[in-house]
Amino acid sequence: MPTFKLNGQDIPFEPGDTIMRAAWRAGIEIPHYCWHPGLSVAANCRMCLVHITSGRQMAMPTLKWDEKKKAYVPDTKPKLTPACQQAAGEGMEVTSVGEEVENAQAHVQEFLLLNHPVDCPICDQAGECKLQDYYEEHQHTAKRKQTEPVHKPKGVTFGPTIVYDAERCIMCTRCIRVCDELVGDHVLDMRERGNKNEIVLAPGRELDHRYTLMTEHVCPVGALTSQDFRFKARVWFLKSVEGVCTGCSTGCNSHVDFDPRIGKVYRLRPRDNEDVNKFWMCDDGMMTYTEVHEGRLKTPVDGRGEGAERLLPEEAVDLVAAKLGAVDAKKLAIVLSAGMSNEDNWVLARFAEKLGAGRLYLAAREAEDVGWEGDDILRSSDPNPNRAGATLAAKSVELHDLEDLAQDVLAGEVSAVLALGHHGGEREGALDALGSLDTVVVLASNEGPLSAVASVQVPVASWAESFGSFVNGQGLFQTFTRAIPSPDGVETAWKTLVQVAAALGHDLGYVRTGEVRDELTQSATAEAAAEPTATA
Amino acid sequence: MEAPDEIFEDEDEALEIPADPMRLNMGPSHPAMHGTIRMVLDLDGETVMNVDVQPGYLHRGFEKSCERGTWAQVFPYADRLNYVSPMLNNVGFSLAVEKLLGIEVPDRGQYYRVILGELARICDHFTSNGAGAMELGAFTPFLWLLKVRDWVWDILERETGARMTHSFGRIGGMAFPPTDGFADDVRAIIPEIHKVVGEAEGLLLKNRIFLDRMQGVGILSKERAVALGCSGPVLRSTGVAYDVRKDHPYMVYDRFDFEVPVGEDGDNWDRFMVRMEEIRQSIRIIEQALDQMPTDGPVSVTDSRIMLPEKREVYTTIEATIAHFKLVMEGLKCPKGAVYSFTEGGNGELGFYIVSDGSGTPYRVRVRPPCWYNLQAVREMLIGDMIADIIPTFGSINMIGGECDR
Repeated sequence: MPTFKLNGQDIPFEPGDTIMRAAWRAGIEIPHYCWHPGLSVAANCRMCLVHITSGRQMAMPTLKWDEKKKAYVPDTKPKLTPACQQAAGEGMEVTSVGEEVENAQAHVQEFLLLNHPVDCPICDQAGECKLQDYYEEHQHTAKRKQTEPVHKPKGVTFGPTIVYDAERCIMCTRCIRVCDELVGDHVLDMRERGNKNEIVLAPGRELDHRYTLMTEHVCPVGALTSQDFRFKARVWFLKSVEGVCTGCSTGCNSHVDFDPRIGKVYRLRPRDNEDVNKFWMCDDGMMTYTEVHEGRLKTPVDGRGEGAERLLPEEAVDLVAAKLGAVDAKKLAIVLSAGMSNEDNWVLARFAEKLGAGRLYLAAREAEDVGWEGDDILRSSDPNPNRAGATLAAKSVELHDLEDLAQDVLAGEVSAVLALGHHGGEREGALDALGSLDTVVVLASNEGPLSAVASVQVPVASWAESFGSFVNGQGLFQTFTRAIPSPDGVETAWKTLVQVAAALGHDLGYVRTGEVRDELTQSATAEAAAEPTATA
Repeated sequence: MEAPDEIFEDEDEALEIPADPMRLNMGPSHPAMHGTIRMVLDLDGETVMNVDVQPGYLHRGFEKSCERGTWAQVFPYADRLNYVSPMLNNVGFSLAVEKLLGIEVPDRGQYYRVILGELARICDHFTSNGAGAMELGAFTPFLWLLKVRDWVWDILERETGARMTHSFGRIGGMAFPPTDGFADDVRAIIPEIHKVVGEAEGLLLKNRIFLDRMQGVGILSKERAVALGCSGPVLRSTGVAYDVRKDHPYMVYDRFDFEVPVGEDGDNWDRFMVRMEEIRQSIRIIEQALDQMPTDGPVSVTDSRIMLPEKREVYTTIEATIAHFKLVMEGLKCPKGAVYSFTEGGNGELGFYIVSDGSGTPYRVRVRPPCWYNLQAVREMLIGDMIADIIPTFGSINMIGGECDR
């Protein structure tokens, strides 16, 4: 691979790479605002100016302050080049430090702050704002401008998800380019020039496509803020773990931002993964974090409707064991979930084997029932994060869908149900048949159609409360990390199942997540080896 | 209730003094042990045959606590090291971080630091000598010295807002410039200090009881003092003229004319007299510093990455808001590396060994407290002396639990 020198260090690049992209790949940051690895080059912020010291030099006339003469005298300075736009060349020598470049950076930064409002204390970007970072690193001088700053519109509603503040905006056009290049919807544009610049909506439009939150995500300053996250939390109090989106079978990688002091998830941010989601996530995916706290099951419940009774967690395990022990295993339906982790599904499937249960079903959301539409950007047509993982857990056993389950109940072949998750059965009346059964045990983190017909509800840990993994639509095995603790007494589904099995006298032999994961990955690898043509 | 007869049976025998060695526990709940030191004494009659000095009762995890906040948040902890002269600790820590940053405080700030520091040293010596005399029953000198210490504290309060734990030092300077009347206030108090030192000496130095309790008691040899790592008045009382201000001048100490008083015998008397003389030398330094100190100009560096910008600027300009935000939320960023920086504290060489990983939080802050090493010498000072000599001897090393245990 050809290389060029950046500050004396050899940087490899692929033909066509810019200096910026090659440096970014090598993990070296050249300060920048408008450049984004997933977007086209705009080269309008001028923060990434570097000095190419090899080749023919161009001298720019300039004036320099002479302390002795107490006057400006003619001088020259080298012409600097934006690193984001300049293609790297073999043997090129580039410097992003030194007096000339640092001067340029400091002055660009000073210009950007010229009319910036004193908003840090009320700005949601504070703490992760590039203006703040670069002020400290590259400017660190006091304000010289004495006049009133230019005022522009604040708090402009761009759509249901985004609010715009023109005074904070540095006109990098990243938001415009996201709409243009990722979504193909030219809904944002720029009007006026110079310090009257502002970002505006296309006439008669709202910012309402499916990737609006990405405009906020790419905004390097606090100009675009999310209606949802606005004024909710200060980012320096948040911690972050790696998550996987549960919105659809794409399995976009995310950062789960939560406040460890109160165990609350506040937002998701896309996590870069070239193979899955590049740098992006869709709005629906970004909002999946809400299910961690909304519609949450927290207490085990015995019975339906009026006669329902709340239980203690340990009572729930005994009750479930007693109920399952009393039914005919041949007529017990086991329902795996396309919305729960590999680990949960794997242990349930092994438990079913121990019980000798008759048939396996898969609870999954149907796109038309939940109003989901795929697209050719990120959104897959299957709104379930782990259909492939649940199928894997069943090994070679065929999985029937919930429609089959309803029919089997009506036909009298199924007299009891043990179901996992809150996905599936969203179609009106799809699970009515189950309402007549005495034993419908549902292990779920959230309210859903299955828990609505359950005779026994047992709350389990949600994805944000457990270590787990999903297999996405393209067969990629992706793990996620626990962010917050579960409510009191609530365990992961697989641990709850291990306890129920133990109460029934079956030792499933799992204690740690790693044991379950090792077993299921080994099984998947073995299967893949046996059937080389099948995708995992 | 009537006592049984058996108790009185061997009455004569019980009055006999036992000949066997006795083990006696002194402190930590003993007023002379500051509530922070326990001494396990092996006694033969009233003679101390051996003593096990056990510190650790004031351990707060100071050094570990420093690793949680920003560099600037160390100052309140540093105040509580030697809390009798907190300004010296503040300045000592500032100098360590400034050494790591490679910056130097403007001249005016350096003189300001020197004057406040020497005032703190005077207070430190007042306290040590006053309390030492009081523990021998001489209450008046104690009140005499503390009266003036209070007046010095009035000045410190006017300057910093607090009488003791000022937290007034800043990395890159001081929290505020001197107040308008600072120089006059300090000059006004100097004759008072001279007067009261003279009076206290008049009350004590010809007092037979005081002389007997101090002279030839608690002797430490020059060689052992050096071997044990003693410093400050404890070391100088043995005849070693080591003073960081003189031997490794920092700030502007090389611009002053002052003496390093030394003793000869290394006994309680010498330690007492060295401190008394150091008070006079500190006054000399203060007088020269007041004359040399610029009346105008900044006391702190102006780099917004190091010092907080002015509040007025913070509220009105985005640049200062950002600088303030970065310094408060993330802390100033020290370059990666480690330095050892040492100054003359109230009790001797106060050193800070600090390690930075480049983030806004200290990776390690290690303090070399002079008291810790001076305390090691107490065992050798006490062996062979009487049990009653423990009080003046332990008092004369001026052990401060805050910096000894940390």
